[in-house]
Amino acid sequence: MSATILRLWWIGAVAAVLLALPAIVRVGAPGMSNYLLNNYGIGSLVWVAFALSYDLSVGHAGTVTLAHPAFFGIGAYTAAVLSTGTHAPFLAAVVVAVVLAGAAALVVGALFFRLSDVFFAIGTLGVAFMANIVAVNWQSVTKGALCITQIPHPQGAADLTGRYYLILAIAAVTALVYVALTRGRVGRALAAVRGDEGLAQTFGANPFVYKMLAFVTGAMLAALVGVFQAHHISVVCPDTLGTFYTLNLLIIVFLGGVGTMRGVVLGAVLFTIIPELARFAQVLAQLVYGVVLLVVVLYAPDGVEGVLQRALHRRRGPVSIWGRETAGDPAEPKT
Amino acid sequence: MDFVLEQLVNGLTLGSLYALVAIGLALVVGVLRLINFAHGDLFMVGGYLFFLARLGGETPYGVAVVATVAGMALLGYAFERAVIERVLDKTWRVQLVATLAISIIIVNAFIYMWGLNPKMAPTPLAGRFLELGMIRIAAQRLVIFVVAPVAFMAFSMFLQRTRTGRAMRAISQNREACLVVGVDPHRIAGVTFAISAGLAGLASALIVPLYSVQPLMGTLLTFKALAAVIMGGFGQIKGALLAAYVLGVAEAMAAGFLSSSYADLVSFGVMVLVLLLRPQGLFGRKVGI
Repeated sequence: MSATILRLWWIGAVAAVLLALPAIVRVGAPGMSNYLLNNYGIGSLVWVAFALSYDLSVGHAGTVTLAHPAFFGIGAYTAAVLSTGTHAPFLAAVVVAVVLAGAAALVVGALFFRLSDVFFAIGTLGVAFMANIVAVNWQSVTKGALCITQIPHPQGAADLTGRYYLILAIAAVTALVYVALTRGRVGRALAAVRGDEGLAQTFGANPFVYKMLAFVTGAMLAALVGVFQAHHISVVCPDTLGTFYTLNLLIIVFLGGVGTMRGVVLGAVLFTIIPELARFAQVLAQLVYGVVLLVVVLYAPDGVEGVLQRALHRRRGPVSIWGRETAGDPAEPKT
Repeated sequence: MDFVLEQLVNGLTLGSLYALVAIGLALVVGVLRLINFAHGDLFMVGGYLFFLARLGGETPYGVAVVATVAGMALLGYAFERAVIERVLDKTWRVQLVATLAISIIIVNAFIYMWGLNPKMAPTPLAGRFLELGMIRIAAQRLVIFVVAPVAFMAFSMFLQRTRTGRAMRAISQNREACLVVGVDPHRIAGVTFAISAGLAGLASALIVPLYSVQPLMGTLLTFKALAAVIMGGFGQIKGALLAAYVLGVAEAMAAGFLSSSYADLVSFGVMVLVLLLRPQGLFGRKVGI
């Protein structure tokens, strides 16, 4: 009981800070409030929402998709084309983008969920490359490598504070969907499918349906974030859809803790803030992240969340799903 | 007609590149049951090694080739000992993320050191053209068409005739039985990676004179090689070899007759079709490499 109350207190406190953040930075650092709100606030929330949508598949359904940015890119390009061509409002772009990404995810899932584990990953890696190639070459729609520029800021939320609250709302929606899908009956079914598909099947949880559920929902949420990003930074380029973002997503999810909401959120925030603080060159940051990802996946597959749980709750043993798996997963014979 | 022949020459060049890279990948898949998502980046590293070994044209081409292959073999062995050794007994998910992380590290380290601008390492043969009937062909391509098959045969002889080669084939067929009869999997893993990286280095030393080296050139190649390995029957070397040439020629024909921009879609399309319709590969299933 007290744990529930404590948790509610925590959620309330975090929500209050997030809601008051624009006012806080304006009062606390008037000279650089725009910089802080943009690079730290909006920057973190974009990655929080994007990474949570990714973790539905990787952390909960157990399917490693490498095509997630393709759906983010579908969202971004839909918003870019609609708003520069027809001046469609933000919400219209959201609806079209989410439907398109959901349909694309259904097709990709229907094709590749017939394959087992690692072949699914290879197939989706191909999807990511191909999405990038199509975006570069379909110049009548995407303008190719020239990028679509001058995308207007969303109407009604055009200033920085407005956009901050918009992405805060999107991140909140993502978090709510994440909680809905990963707790309770659906969450247990996903865990069963992840652990042993055959066993899950015999207990009435169709693996195909649950993997598809996580995959398509994640794709739709990613498209939602993509629409925001296009309107926020006003430009969309083909590398949005490629594998560059996939690696960033993997880094965030592993750094934070696969399959744990707090971990993924922390991972996204750390991922955004550390290079800003350290003023790393982009390439050097990627290099450091690569090393971090390798070290984490080999030696601390629970990420930051594992460290936290051991410190706060005196918990022993693996915390995240992958931590458990490396400790010896009976479902997967090692060869 | 000469246009078709020209595209065929391009396709066979591309196929030789894919084949040298793909059989190295297939060897690792077959012997170690590991998919190295950083394999294409080894080709890129080999390209820079070749660029360095040429010393701007001071070193004779043959010496640079040998230096590249030997250097890559050493690097491959060290790479296996330092990193791959630690993921060999982990699950496929950990192996996937770990080798992707290695790919990020290699690519960004090279961008950091060398920048994104391509480096040229031309050879005299790449600039000399021969008239062969109806087509003109760079002498370097003839070198590729001679050296690549010789390398394939040497590799095949190694697997068939030598003790280490036989041990590799044995491990790919039955790992437990090999442990019983005293094959050292630790040593085999190191040798496997040395050969795999050496073949990638040979590919770089043959192909780079025609084009250039750039840190990002390995990423798409990893996928092309994976496509060939899947088409050839997962982890089968001869299958991967054939599939790589099929892919290379198909891509060159698509580039010549449809549009060069969509040529890369070919390997993806073919791979998807094979995965869905003939998951055992184009040439049927057999045990081991």
